[in-house]
Amino acid sequence: MVGVLRRWRDEVGDTHGLAVTRVALGVLLFSNALRAARELRDGYFGDFFHWPILPEALVPHRNLYALLVMAQVLLSAFVVAGHRARGALFASAIVGLYILLCDRLQFHNNRVALFLYSLLLSLSPCDRGFSVAPALATGTGPLWAARLAQFQLAFIYVASGGSKLLDADWRSGRVLLERFVLFGQNAIANGMPNSIVRWATQPDSASALAKIAIATELGLAIGLWSRRARILALWWGVWFHLAIEVSSRVEGFTWLTLAVYALFSTPDVRARKFYYDPFRRRSRMLARAVTWLDWLARFDVRPWLPDGLHKGHSIVVIRRDGTLATGLGAVAMVTRCIPVFFPLWAPLALAASFTRGGDTSARS
Amino acid sequence: MLDLRPTARVAFAFLWVIGQAALVLTAGLRADHVLGFRMFPEASTLEIHLSRVTPDVILPAPRGEWAARDGAGQLRHFSWRDRVRDPVLQSIDVTVFAAYGVDAQLARLQHALDDVADHIDQDEDTLRLRADVVVSKNGGDAYNATLFSHVRRER
Repeated sequence: MVGVLRRWRDEVGDTHGLAVTRVALGVLLFSNALRAARELRDGYFGDFFHWPILPEALVPHRNLYALLVMAQVLLSAFVVAGHRARGALFASAIVGLYILLCDRLQFHNNRVALFLYSLLLSLSPCDRGFSVAPALATGTGPLWAARLAQFQLAFIYVASGGSKLLDADWRSGRVLLERFVLFGQNAIANGMPNSIVRWATQPDSASALAKIAIATELGLAIGLWSRRARILALWWGVWFHLAIEVSSRVEGFTWLTLAVYALFSTPDVRARKFYYDPFRRRSRMLARAVTWLDWLARFDVRPWLPDGLHKGHSIVVIRRDGTLATGLGAVAMVTRCIPVFFPLWAPLALAASFTRGGDTSARS
Repeated sequence: MLDLRPTARVAFAFLWVIGQAALVLTAGLRADHVLGFRMFPEASTLEIHLSRVTPDVILPAPRGEWAARDGAGQLRHFSWRDRVRDPVLQSIDVTVFAAYGVDAQLARLQHALDDVADHIDQDEDTLRLRADVVVSKNGGDAYNATLFSHVRRER
């Protein structure tokens, strides 16, 4: 136990994932600040019914509140740009939590989570990448605060899944069924097929989905920490949150959680190689797409001069362990590592495992 | 300042974990369960009907609007929405989704009744406000809950 604690406390690693999460949090903080500014334009919350947790005397008056909202906008810009980003994250978190404590009508789980993650990330070296400030010589740093943010995510899953598990209406599917009945039209308007919504509004379907939702939340809290199960847990979690995004109004919670998922990526940079044929247009386009979209810096992208092995392949991926992937296997590796393609990973990896040039047969 | 020393990291993490656990485990003690991270806790609906209690009779306030006399005997118009802007609570006489659950919304409504009662100084007729709420919890049979604001100063 002491050994585990010491390893957590002293762990050092690449901070690229931290920088990605910081930029995403900055965008979400910016969005949150803009919402607050829009609401302020319609009226200052203190002029109407509000319900503070703090004593009323500590609720800011209109002008101070307007200043705080403006400060939130500015701070979020600093967070995104990477200039004095950690201080800006810390201040954003403190101001945001303070405002929530001034009016619990403004309380939403996603807002609390955003400020808690911001606070934790401000304690990590998240400003060493994606920054307008001169880059530090080293891209590595202590990861203890990032691990604490990961814990926070798992903790939210346990709290949410646990409360559902203890609720008979949730376990039976009654809550989910009624939600589908009430908000099914919204889901259809957001692009969910009518047939799926109709299926979900059957009691048996809702009951099954409720059990899956509870198992998913509790399973993610554990699976994300397992080295073997993590990739599958992340993939399942991405689809879980995308499904919630389509079917419910959750402000920025989906994107917040997916941003924190970046902290679960193994902290190494360009540990995989992506070789492409510079003489093929398709290869060059793929290489360019990977270069642009490889926000977690998983790939070292290089052209090759075609040889015996590479002949006939647009791309070849060399995994972290030195094994090769070509064809569908290489595409599956790309989807595994590139965040925007990640939802496609599992079916492609499964299909690739049956191909000759896929995961198994292309190993060197 | 934001780079904690190794010993401070352990202390901070310990306090963080204890604090989060305490907030989640005590969420049930707070009417609105704030800071408990209970996502989508219910799928319930509310329909709030507002009325006001006068010395003689209870008068409905359809859509949250009413007229009452001020100290000079002049008839004045009052509106629930002048004070309550929350999307759920401001919806009077219509069925709305009870975000964060019935308990949370009833607790908020109780505070809103008290708040509005404190901010209708020119209404010399109303003793207190009353809300009759038709509640349907998770699609179950509807039931009624009645809330009163505190009694305004004796008139």
